[in-house]
Amino acid sequence: MSVVALLEPQALDPQLELAELTEAARGDGAVVTFVGLARPESGEGNAVDAIVLDHHPTLTRQSLEAIAVACAERFDVSHVRVVHRCGTVPAGEPIVFAGAASLHRRPAFEAADYLIDRLKTEAVFWKREVGDDGSNWVEPTEGDFADRDRWG
Amino acid sequence: MRIRLYGRLGDVIGREIELAAAEVTVGDIRRSLAASHAAAAATLGRSRAFIGDCFVTDDRTVGDAESIEFLPPVSGG
Repeated sequence: MSVVALLEPQALDPQLELAELTEAARGDGAVVTFVGLARPESGEGNAVDAIVLDHHPTLTRQSLEAIAVACAERFDVSHVRVVHRCGTVPAGEPIVFAGAASLHRRPAFEAADYLIDRLKTEAVFWKREVGDDGSNWVEPTEGDFADRDRWG
Repeated sequence: MRIRLYGRLGDVIGREIELAAAEVTVGDIRRSLAASHAAAAATLGRSRAFIGDCFVTDDRTVGDAESIEFLPPVSGG
């Protein structure tokens, strides 16, 4: 069993993260991953050049670790890996990698789904879209909270 | 006391400010900041207060030598 939760101030490479998780998952039968990308357009249809992720010096890491550990305890998975960017993420680039490995596929699918639902609403970040029309702070949507509430 | 602010609050009020006050509550600080920064009032009302390594309620008294942080609703992913 391994649980990894990392705060990444530099570029996040999903291929490298997948390679790390797959290497850890030797002997398992499934690896499921989710990669979140910085969208080039806001919910209002405005062009977005970058997402800026403000974070807390202690609580942000703690929140990532708590979500990853809760995932490992809840599902029948052998490995959990969460990597989340902070700082400025240009549009189109990865913001978050959330993955899990398990002996059979279903727990890994559920674990990855759970991870991103909790990360969207509970990871300690403050997210700002920056574009031609200035910047706009983004909070979770009602849909994001409904997704998280599926897990009780 | 030192006040640290994150997200939208940091944009509107400043990331870190000093407030000269003795024996005030978290609620007093919240109301004072909202009164002086109307654009941050709504977000302040939805923000959690954090001192040391604990979230605190509005009735907590804050000493002049302490630091307090206000954390708006979070959004990852």
